[in-house]
Amino acid sequence: MKDSANYKDYALLSYHHIPGVHNLEIFERAGGYETMKACFDKDPEAIKEEVKQSGLRGRGGAGFSTGVKWGFFTKDRSAIKYLLCNADESEPGTFKDRYLVEKNPHILIEGMIISAWALGTQKGYIYIRGEFYHQAMILEKAIKEAYANGYLGKNILGKGFDFDLYVHRGAGAYICGEETGMISSLEGKKGQPKLKPPFPAIKGYRGLPTMVNNVESLAAIPWIMKFGANAYKQWGTEKSPGTKLFSISGDVNKPGVIEVPLSTTLKEIIEVHCGGVRNGNKLKAVIPGGSSAPIFNAEDSLIVKMDYEDVAAKGSMLGSGAIIVLDETRNMGEVLKWTLEFYHHESCGQCTPCREGTGWMEKILKRKEIGVAKKSDIELLDKTAASMRGQTICALADAAAMPTQGMIKVFRNELEQYVTTVAKK
Amino acid sequence: MSKLEKIEFTAENLARYKEYLTRYDDIESALLPTLHLAQEQFGWLPDHIVKYLAELMGIPEIHIKEVISFYDMLYDTPVGRNIVHVCTNITCSMFGGREIYQGLLKHYETDFLTPTRDGRISIQKMECLGACEIAPCMRLNNDFLGNVDLQTAIHKIDELP
Amino acid sequence: MTEKVKFKWNGKEIEADKGSNLLKAALDNGIEVAHYCYHAGLSVAGVCRMCMVEQDGVPRPFPACNASCGEGIVVRNDTPKIKSSIEATLSFHLLNHPLDCPVCDQAGECGLQDYYMKHGQYDSQMVDKKVHKDKVQDIGRNVMLDAERCILCSRCTRFTEEVTKTHELGILNRGDHAEITVNEKLKNNYAQNLVDICPVGALTSKDFRFKQRVWFLEEVQTTCIGCETGCSVKVSENKNGAFRVKPSYDHEVNGHWMCDDGRNIYKHVSGALRLFGAQENLNGLFVPVDEFKTHQLAKGKTLKFILSTGLTNQEYEKFFEKIKGKSAQVALYVLPNQGEDFDGLLTRGDKNPNLRGARKAFEDAGYDSSQNALDKLLSSVSSNDAIFVVVPEIIYNEDHFNTLISKVEKAGLKIALTHGETLSTLRAFDFLLPIPTFVEKNGDIINFQNKKRALRSGISYGETSKDVSYYAGWVNL
Repeated sequence: MKDSANYKDYALLSYHHIPGVHNLEIFERAGGYETMKACFDKDPEAIKEEVKQSGLRGRGGAGFSTGVKWGFFTKDRSAIKYLLCNADESEPGTFKDRYLVEKNPHILIEGMIISAWALGTQKGYIYIRGEFYHQAMILEKAIKEAYANGYLGKNILGKGFDFDLYVHRGAGAYICGEETGMISSLEGKKGQPKLKPPFPAIKGYRGLPTMVNNVESLAAIPWIMKFGANAYKQWGTEKSPGTKLFSISGDVNKPGVIEVPLSTTLKEIIEVHCGGVRNGNKLKAVIPGGSSAPIFNAEDSLIVKMDYEDVAAKGSMLGSGAIIVLDETRNMGEVLKWTLEFYHHESCGQCTPCREGTGWMEKILKRKEIGVAKKSDIELLDKTAASMRGQTICALADAAAMPTQGMIKVFRNELEQYVTTVAKK
Repeated sequence: MSKLEKIEFTAENLARYKEYLTRYDDIESALLPTLHLAQEQFGWLPDHIVKYLAELMGIPEIHIKEVISFYDMLYDTPVGRNIVHVCTNITCSMFGGREIYQGLLKHYETDFLTPTRDGRISIQKMECLGACEIAPCMRLNNDFLGNVDLQTAIHKIDELP
Repeated sequence: MTEKVKFKWNGKEIEADKGSNLLKAALDNGIEVAHYCYHAGLSVAGVCRMCMVEQDGVPRPFPACNASCGEGIVVRNDTPKIKSSIEATLSFHLLNHPLDCPVCDQAGECGLQDYYMKHGQYDSQMVDKKVHKDKVQDIGRNVMLDAERCILCSRCTRFTEEVTKTHELGILNRGDHAEITVNEKLKNNYAQNLVDICPVGALTSKDFRFKQRVWFLEEVQTTCIGCETGCSVKVSENKNGAFRVKPSYDHEVNGHWMCDDGRNIYKHVSGALRLFGAQENLNGLFVPVDEFKTHQLAKGKTLKFILSTGLTNQEYEKFFEKIKGKSAQVALYVLPNQGEDFDGLLTRGDKNPNLRGARKAFEDAGYDSSQNALDKLLSSVSSNDAIFVVVPEIIYNEDHFNTLISKVEKAGLKIALTHGETLSTLRAFDFLLPIPTFVEKNGDIINFQNKKRALRSGISYGETSKDVSYYAGWVNL
């Protein structure tokens, strides 16, 4: 099998092999910021169009077309509006954005400046999760360098365009990765998602138009603008073009972040890029898109192609591209328990079905601890999960319900056994 | 901290706070960075610090309390000088994150977030820290520590000031 | 003029303002829609998820409270899909709720109880431990908080944030550990509204707590006489007395709210102090007497009346009609201002409920309602006079009123027209004669905006058949 992870040929990690590329000087020597400079001579609308043509889809998880999203944004360049980079990266299993920015913060900054020019935003914030302290410092330093070079601030490169960029640290709340939760958090509130409509592109941060894009989406912009939409589409499928970062963890020999074309098979990712299942163990299951994504059994895992459509066709979602590999030694009841504890802990608490449902699902799965478990609890769990879906302001309830229902679908027998088996002390 | 000590930002932190204000188009948006800053100086965020910040920023106290209570990394109870985060999410739990967490609580004879008797550390069970490739992972203050076992963890924690 | 649109809700055609709130339009048109977090006087939170609807051509259900009325839209909340989702959401609401209805004051007017009777399938699938929170907390201003009963609809926190802007309440923590918390005890004069807007029994009134089951009460729709604002209110009462006052939505005057001062205006209505007939002062002790005796004593005296500003327009009118062409002196006692002129919300310093109505009636009858006229009347008081003082129902500044009483001392016959023996200084009077309270008479008053608002009578708690005009009939006997 061919190793398709030759990063130098790809879009996002193409600078990663260069030592010290987090320094602006080295980044520039390798061709960084050239695209940005060229973009200032381009019509903003043309940039938006190019991004739309590239088919780039939001890499945070939802997979919505970045170009189309940009199309919802006001074209009034004088209106006050914001560009918000989602670097909250808190979907369990995901660590690609951290990997991207800690080695190469400038690719993100370059992408944000180009995006700001295209969108006409005067201010931008990189909302990075609180746990990524050093990564925030790396970004701060890189931003300082960009200011020093006149790439940020007033009248950038004499083009009459102003763009200020700041790092904003979160403080430990999964829900701030949801774009309106992030906006609430940036506004100095609890990070609770906001009702939609209105959508952030219309009324976002401080009630003003706000474009929220994921780190990986924004970091792809320089490449797309340099080589063009068509070049980007050489990879992937028609509906899922381009390359994607995958964070792979769990029972593989070489966990980590890779960039591969979308639609690369999961089999290739595991066997070629990650050195196969650890200890030569048998593959049992894979969570393909972060903890919210319904789990695949071994069979589906070995045939699925990692693009938005094929993963969805097989009943899960590509999500953030966080792949958690589980081998034959793993207990699915435990995996579900860890998952449910997480969502229970992270529910923001405003919508009733989520606030109450996430806690209850965890309690149902743990009934054996209070001696009231029965096999039919799995049925109740399934029903409870189903009744949480599509009922809430944001997708957290769905994110808790989907993997629960997915796990029940694939491993029902094992779960029934799990809930009724009391561990020996 | 003694009660007699005046509750206010140091001159240096006040300057940092003022710099934060320049980053945002309203004062409320500077709350989260300001809370990080306050916690850095005061260790945790009890009511009298909240009161100080409320007056400084013109934000209602209850609003600040809500925000503190919402985020896992802001503390409204006393914590140790060093914070130890132990990830207990899926990948880390697969590789013993939970056992490490329980082991640390036992070793240091403490409980979730409760400072050890010497006030040196607080151990906090955390959700996914975003470093699953080095599972099981932890954070010692702001530094990530990966592929740890209980013994290494204790060893590293003991090196903390 | 606002553009109107027509749309269909469960097949029923509704007309509403274009772009107005969809849920409100349905509710205003008598459609029952389960909802806890929505309140027309507050911002939209959209968190209880009970008012979910489906709309033709819209792929996913959405809460009606966050949607607006559009021409021709077709929405339903009676489809099997929505019905089952509402039932599920209701059971989520009940998961950590203690279901202590038998000891809950909200029982009978509880949003949870109402809807679970209707939709509920509370089938004890919940064998798990409930999340425990603080039960009985006195959070100030007569408000009690039971955090376990709370369903986190956030109406109360939105109220203290948006309406009073006093920020006493907040919701701390995340998920099912989220809990209403007081930063400091309630300090605003609108705190009782929190009890009204709480859809469950989490916030109850200490004053009303355990006093009455609501199903034993009747509501009288009337107007508050606590100040010149004239908020529309409902007084809950039964034969044992009045038990509480709640605001009644009045778009022009008070919207959804009323102040806490106004909540107390019922207290004098029933109770031991009420008069059931004429009373005579026997060495400082009032004892029942035949009204005829007072009548006889007044004969031959010059009758002088000092009216209060708390009578209805109709009472003033009838009064002046009775004394028309007769020789009676009349003046008006105006209550002094109390507190700040206006608190920015509803409460006003001018405590006279119907000053405008009184002045107009005086003027129409050719009488002078000014302070000068009152002073003139008072300075001429002599032993030849029978003076009738109408005692205001609510007196904030007793000293001020007592000064008035001291000035009528010289009168040969001193009669207080009052609903009860409300002040010890009334002992300066020779007789107390009964008049009705504001919830025992029908008529209008005119508020600070010159808007007419109605007083309506409910149950009588004293002698209410005679009003000031009846006593005016004694003139020139």
